[in-house]
Amino acid sequence: MSASTETTIALNEGVTEALSREAATARSAGEPEWMRERRVHAFDVYARTPMPTRRLEEWRYTDLGEKLDLASLSLGTRSEVADDPSAWPAGVRATMEEDWDAAAHVVLIDGTVVHVDLDEALAGKGVVVTSLRDAVNDEETWEDAKQYLATQAVKPERGKFAALNCALYLDGVYVYVPRGVHVDLPVRVTRWISTSAAAHFDRALILAGETSKVTYIDEVLSDDLDTHTFASNAIEVIAKDGASVQFVQMQRLGRNVFAHSQQRTLAHRDATANTLNVALGATTSRVDLNAQMLGPGSSSEMLGLYFGDGDQHFDHNTSQDHVSPHAFSDLLYKGALDGDAKAVFRGIIRVHPKAQQSDAYQTNRNLLLSETASADTLPNLEIAADDVKCSHGATVGQLDEESLFYLMSRGIPQEKAERLVVMGFLGEILLKVSLGGVIEKITREIERKLAHV
Amino acid sequence: MSAPILKIENLQAKVADEDLQILRGVDLELNAGEIHAIMGPNGSGKSTLAKVLAGHPGYEVTGGTATFEGEDILEAEPDERSQAGIFLAFQYPVDIPGVSIANFLRTALQAHAGDEELDLFEFQDLLMEKMDLLDMDPSFAERPVNDGFSGGEKKRNEILQMACLQPKLALMDETDSGLDIDALQIVANGVNKLREDNPEMTVLLITHYQRLLNYIEPDFVHVIVQGRIVESGGPELALRLEDEGYATWQSEVTEEVG
Repeated sequence: MSASTETTIALNEGVTEALSREAATARSAGEPEWMRERRVHAFDVYARTPMPTRRLEEWRYTDLGEKLDLASLSLGTRSEVADDPSAWPAGVRATMEEDWDAAAHVVLIDGTVVHVDLDEALAGKGVVVTSLRDAVNDEETWEDAKQYLATQAVKPERGKFAALNCALYLDGVYVYVPRGVHVDLPVRVTRWISTSAAAHFDRALILAGETSKVTYIDEVLSDDLDTHTFASNAIEVIAKDGASVQFVQMQRLGRNVFAHSQQRTLAHRDATANTLNVALGATTSRVDLNAQMLGPGSSSEMLGLYFGDGDQHFDHNTSQDHVSPHAFSDLLYKGALDGDAKAVFRGIIRVHPKAQQSDAYQTNRNLLLSETASADTLPNLEIAADDVKCSHGATVGQLDEESLFYLMSRGIPQEKAERLVVMGFLGEILLKVSLGGVIEKITREIERKLAHV
Repeated sequence: MSAPILKIENLQAKVADEDLQILRGVDLELNAGEIHAIMGPNGSGKSTLAKVLAGHPGYEVTGGTATFEGEDILEAEPDERSQAGIFLAFQYPVDIPGVSIANFLRTALQAHAGDEELDLFEFQDLLMEKMDLLDMDPSFAERPVNDGFSGGEKKRNEILQMACLQPKLALMDETDSGLDIDALQIVANGVNKLREDNPEMTVLLITHYQRLLNYIEPDFVHVIVQGRIVESGGPELALRLEDEGYATWQSEVTEEVG
């Protein structure tokens, strides 16, 4: 049923032009009424929200008119790949070989969940790791999904693309950790994109009950694609009182992909919601991350790392909202740029009027490895309370002739010298992350990119 | 008598992107194990000479030759010169955030070892031995290279690198600049200890002041003015410079040019 229904809305005129309420409704085939209503509502928000242009501060340095051609794309459809590793793309198997240290694995191909496994002991404690589709469709479990999916974190009202994702998402991941349960090993999600000239939409909802603990590693990747492709993703993290969530996204998509991830973490009283965003792939990569410190004592460590080469364009748009007093947030984004690559960082700390005793920090550092690479960095503060500790800083530095000569004068060949400087620079981020497999994958990918220099 | 380890003939060099000639025909011979000091006023080309010998990309050789152990070095990359046994102690060492001194030196020594895998235990032993020799705290090796270092720490780090890389020829570019007398003594003692360890190490000291030569005694002193060596002699020449300054030679050269 779903395959044929959805094929009819593969929009030859493009996702934007031919999108209708009916298309959003069709996407909801088999889903309960509340979900259909939610998608239709999202469509309505999408329809009445103008497409962002460079006149909007948040999109000033990423020209959607130039970088994203929705009209050329068809809507991604369900993948028919079997739940069998031998049927998966080689790239999926290769990256998962290092992921054996896990509480659960989820594999998505073109936004469709094709595999889920979860440690039985954890399942026995009530932990749920499943496809979003199943979570939404199962009457037994949908209460939480109904309460939180696109209602508090990445809801349609967040903007044009948040609405579009909610209206059209194909599938995604649902994680629920009951009160007091600690999931010690990470939940590892591998999302693979294989169909080009399409717009893919998926999302994840991570619900951590009171004083629970979970780490979620989201790896999205593809081969280099032959034509323009859009991969849209939404991440919702709800950390209830005293919960601790670590979310890691490693973006290693191939060229010609426009990757867009919209993430929002809600940290309630004494909760921790930490994030690490690693952007290495895609032609254009945009991450919108908003961390909400909703309860007193909440905290968020926000780390980011990017390495661009060729004509890659990375845009990180972050915000830290201190809504409650006595909360802590610390953001550190570092990136190295080679070739003609370009990075944009726009970050804002917002301390709301009642958020006295806030501790909020924000730092963005860029290292340019070539004359033609560039970085625009715009850190910002908006403080409405008077008893706070806040700081922000940004730098754009150059791997200059003198540094390189210094290293080479010790006998280190140029390529190794560049690698040493870059890994030293980015190492500050990696040192803060002790996750098996993650550092190795990032290091290897950066070294592979450096070797092309 | 054996051939000189470093032989410079009529070496001329200019700033790479500018029409600014700095070395105007330098002649110099260093035999293995000798200590030579090159002294000169600001802008005389003494630092340029050290940088050109190490292969700094900011300068372009416009004439003359320089051979190290009989081989032309002017075409070699800086890393190749280092691997051949030339070491430049920087006047202004560069900081490398996030890279520990130990990691930096291990990478450098691995490059010197070529295809042969560096034995990490041997490396660790070597590093500890040299730090001990130079009275350095072992924790120093874990600090990021020159990042947040004081002037004295930067220069000591240069000497530590020199100790570990064990060059045949050490070019010391104004190692004394920016140091107080205590730091100067520590650095000079370090160099002397390395020389005791390895008497065959040849040293070319570039300096503006005579005071360094109180602690590291040179065999020969050369005066460089306007890109040429205008006089060579023994240690007494440095003392004469201390008294008289460079005025004599500067006026001579000016007259010659004028």
